[in-house]
Amino acid sequence: MRPLDPRLLRYARSARAYVILTTVLGLVVAVLVVAQALLIARILAPAVSGTLGPSPLVAVAGLVGLLAAVVAARALATWTQERFALRAAARTIAELRESVVQHAARLGPRWIASGRGPEVATLATRGLDDLEPYLVRYLPQLLLAATVTPLGILVVFGLDWVSAVIIVVTIPLVPIFMILVGHLTAGAAARRLAVVQRLGSQVLDLLTGLPTLRAFGREIGPQARVRALGEANRRATMGTLRIAFLSGMVLELLTTLSVAVVAVGIGLRLLRGEGIDLEAGLAVLILAPEVYLPLRQVGAQFHASTDGLAAAEQAFEVLETPARPRGTAPCPPLRGSTVAVEGVSVRAGDRAATAPADLSFSFTVPDDGSRGRVVALTGPSGSGKSTAALVLLALHDPDEGRVSVRAADGSVVDLRDLDPRTWWSQITWVPQRPALAPGRLRDVVRDEREARDEDVERAARLSGLDAVVASLPDGWDTVVGRGGSGLSVGQRQRVALAQALLDDPARSPVVVLDEPTAHLDARGEQAVLESVRAWRDAGRTVLVVAHRASLVALADDVVSVWSQVTEPAGRTAGPASRNAPTGATEPSGPAGSGPVPANGTSA
Amino acid sequence: MSAVGTRVRDRLAADPLWRATRLLEIPRGRAVVSVLWGALSLGSSVGLAAVAAWLIARASQMPDVGAVSIAVVAVRAFGIGRGVARYLERLASHDLALRGMTALRTNLYELLARGRGEALARVRRGDLLARVGADVDAVGDVVVRAFIPSGVAVVVSLLSVGIVGVFLPAAGLVLAACLVLAGVVSPWLASRASRATEARSAQVRAEMSARTLEVLEHAGPLQVAGALDGRTAALRSTDRDLAAATDAGARVSATAAALQSLAIGLAVLGSLLLGIPAVAAGTLAPVELSVIVLVPLAAFEGASALPAAAIQVRRSRESARRIMEILDEAGAPDRAAPGPGPGEPADDRMTATGLAAGWGERPCVVGVDLAVPRGGTVAVLGPSGVGKTTLLATLAGLLPALGGRCSHPGDAALVAEDGHVFETSVLENLRVARGDLTEAEAMVALERVGLAPWVDGLPDGVATPLGPDGATVSGGERRRLLVARALVSSAPWLLVDEPAEHLEAATADELLQTLVDEARASHRGLVVATHRLSGLGALDEVVVLGQDEQQGTTTDAAAVPHGPRPATVTVRGTHDELLRTDPDHAWALAQETLGPTVPQAGPAAR
Repeated sequence: MRPLDPRLLRYARSARAYVILTTVLGLVVAVLVVAQALLIARILAPAVSGTLGPSPLVAVAGLVGLLAAVVAARALATWTQERFALRAAARTIAELRESVVQHAARLGPRWIASGRGPEVATLATRGLDDLEPYLVRYLPQLLLAATVTPLGILVVFGLDWVSAVIIVVTIPLVPIFMILVGHLTAGAAARRLAVVQRLGSQVLDLLTGLPTLRAFGREIGPQARVRALGEANRRATMGTLRIAFLSGMVLELLTTLSVAVVAVGIGLRLLRGEGIDLEAGLAVLILAPEVYLPLRQVGAQFHASTDGLAAAEQAFEVLETPARPRGTAPCPPLRGSTVAVEGVSVRAGDRAATAPADLSFSFTVPDDGSRGRVVALTGPSGSGKSTAALVLLALHDPDEGRVSVRAADGSVVDLRDLDPRTWWSQITWVPQRPALAPGRLRDVVRDEREARDEDVERAARLSGLDAVVASLPDGWDTVVGRGGSGLSVGQRQRVALAQALLDDPARSPVVVLDEPTAHLDARGEQAVLESVRAWRDAGRTVLVVAHRASLVALADDVVSVWSQVTEPAGRTAGPASRNAPTGATEPSGPAGSGPVPANGTSA
Repeated sequence: MSAVGTRVRDRLAADPLWRATRLLEIPRGRAVVSVLWGALSLGSSVGLAAVAAWLIARASQMPDVGAVSIAVVAVRAFGIGRGVARYLERLASHDLALRGMTALRTNLYELLARGRGEALARVRRGDLLARVGADVDAVGDVVVRAFIPSGVAVVVSLLSVGIVGVFLPAAGLVLAACLVLAGVVSPWLASRASRATEARSAQVRAEMSARTLEVLEHAGPLQVAGALDGRTAALRSTDRDLAAATDAGARVSATAAALQSLAIGLAVLGSLLLGIPAVAAGTLAPVELSVIVLVPLAAFEGASALPAAAIQVRRSRESARRIMEILDEAGAPDRAAPGPGPGEPADDRMTATGLAAGWGERPCVVGVDLAVPRGGTVAVLGPSGVGKTTLLATLAGLLPALGGRCSHPGDAALVAEDGHVFETSVLENLRVARGDLTEAEAMVALERVGLAPWVDGLPDGVATPLGPDGATVSGGERRRLLVARALVSSAPWLLVDEPAEHLEAATADELLQTLVDEARASHRGLVVATHRLSGLGALDEVVVLGQDEQQGTTTDAAAVPHGPRPATVTVRGTHDELLRTDPDHAWALAQETLGPTVPQAGPAAR
């Protein structure tokens, strides 16, 4: 892993300015460190040799003033570094967070929900924070190692080349020995770390299971085991640490011993009068530890560096996941258009199946304000109904097949080539888990639509929201949190239904509804049916992902969605039927798979 | 004086970190050894600086080699000593911390195990447990990151002040003042800055987190609704607030850092300004001047670790506060409630009279009457979140009753919906319910819940270890394993929460039947909480919990700030009676029987 990933500078502009500032400050600090050492030596040497004359303080007043200025400047440099490091870190993290979140949204809900999704959420909310210690602690030391150390060596070389040679010879030993020790101990450390983690999780396991033990009245006793596990954990950890701390010891040993060797060398040569004077000797003695200091700090902050870089790496992986470029063609008015799903198949990410498999159907949106149609997608759980809806919503690309729009004038365009915003603006989507904005219930339902109070109340009646409102102490003024927190899942669903009822049928003639599977009782089901009827009667085409017979009964067209097992290795039943919920009746369609068009799916 | 002493003691007794630290049971001897190694390590640095300065200054006077030979040896020894002593200090202090964490975990377990069940259940429920693990680590960290470094800093600072003070007392005083600046003032500022930043950013941070998750979770709907750009802009603005909160703290923490650097410079300047006249006046030897000027350059390493230590103390105190809160709750006496815990059993039945159950002060279920004889079977029905689990926990005596009374003679075993599968063998997991269970008995129980084929498929049968928290067990297998636990337990009362969850319909019905058969055969009382209706015909009574008329839908009690009205028994009777009298009951059963729609249902229905 590179200590400074250039991609960080590419993706986060704040990091760029910060690296420049830190580099400049690093150079300034390098000059100040050298100046401080030279000034102290210049003042001290004549004082020790007794050559300052009768009023010694007056003789060094100028130099002491200069030294005071250097001290003040170093404090100021430290202040500036710390002050802007924290700010730059906050901004860099914010920039990366925004990019990651935006790009993840571009990659679509299926990508977010599959394997990497939860990771992205953790990365965006907490993981990126690891960049702070990296940027604030590690990076400045790294840059100091690139400024103070070489400049210090150069100056030492000018003062006393023998000492410079000692330093130049020992510095490469630091990383060499650290890598050597690291390599020799990596295997043992990894093995022991596994033991440590297992023991740690066992203790946590007992604590987690305490309520269960208690439910059986067996909670007293295992604390001896907690202690024994803790002891075993300690012994194993100490085994790891004995090895892990070795590299730290090598670092300390090499750097301190080198300073000692330099000091002794200077002392002995001064003693013999071999080409070095007291002032140079003192300057080298002060400079030598300063030359090693950044290296030691880099070693000490090593973990900050690996954690921070790993977080950044994760962010780059997300950002570098290619997203299909969006289409640019404007969507024709959907009224009067025919939308055709042609042989659409989507590979299920987590199992060896295609869901949906080879799905075809079409529907025409009426343009004369007449009664709309209700198209129901049905099929067993896991057959890909919701995925089919995502494909139709242009939120997921099919692996095979396509969705096309034939406009009233006969022109045909692929959904891929459309600017999705012009497509979305004509569709209302009621998902299972709606994204509700926070606010008072009345405003949440309106969601920035222009709607009269009586329209809102009519929508509430149809969607069953009126019962919810009546049950809430604050009624329409109830404050709802982000994402509808404060409301139950069923209540959120009704809010979403009411919202969709307020939409202007002329603006968005198509409604896509993912019927709620859970938390629905008789009254809840009635609300869904009422809403679907109201949409249809307003001339909107309703595409429902249906789970219940009552909704299918309402449909004008029924489309069966099937999944197909892609690897038939020894399995007779596909995962779709295995995952069927309790009480599932086996579909009595033709064996195998394939679309089963219900009575004339194209209107 | 004793008044002050009492006050200090009182304040310490109230300080959560102090209380938690006592649970660490730190052995004093080991702590002293750690500090000594640390002091030896940093002391070597100071010694190296002092002796090297003396050596070079003395050598420049060109004495005999013999005059400096001891110094040469000392410099080399210090050069080696630093690294070695540091290594030993790190080992000793980490050993100490790990011992402390073990003691704290054991104490925590013991106090929770002996304490009130309610506190414990809350820990499990609120996902506090993950935090408890982290909090224990944070309290343990205070040893390595704060206590030992502080001890080392004090010793090394005193040593440095001593060395300088011996040669020139005034310079020693200046060094001491500068060390106070770096080791007391600067850490105080740093801790204050970090507290201010965290306090200011806590809310913004939660907001940022919520907004981020919102965009990620609802990326699809937000895009279709055209609201994504708006939400992203809102996230950006929250992040700006977060940066502003960090920025405000950064000014103070930058000052703390600058003080560190300034203190070193001031100490050197002080030594020069005091030392040079002293040499001229003859009160200080010239060689000693170089010592008092160079020692300050090495003396601040200990103090420079203290700002981080101060921040650690503050964070550890927060963790300690959370731990002590849980322990205080576990240790507190039961709330004075009308009918505390299981009362004295009136007869040989499990009874509840006007029972109110709930977490905290507010009941979520009220007015429950039950009377289950031995061999009797009752189902508690209701939508999820209505309070079935709470009712069972109260019946089991794990939660105090908030009103009314409940009692049962003998033990009650509760199979919670989130019952824990331990990271041990299948057999040991069943022995949780009964310690003397034999392998054969275990096999019988597993057979009865339909897990025999599963166990046969495991590499070592019932001796096969299961992964952490049953991660290697599927939802359905886990459920059946938990029910098997109830079967093997010897408790006369079985309370089983959602035995049908994650199971195929047929399996779920069989499992329920197994429980009913067990209750009747071995004369035990059974209360089952479920939201499934099929199979309930086998039970003696069905008790339906629900809110009153208005609020038919399910409500997640925890999610509603003002809360719905508490649920109560809306209907009761046998399954068949309910089917006849309650249309909702019949409707719900029909839903289960129908299951998901079948392809031909739609068109055919019209």
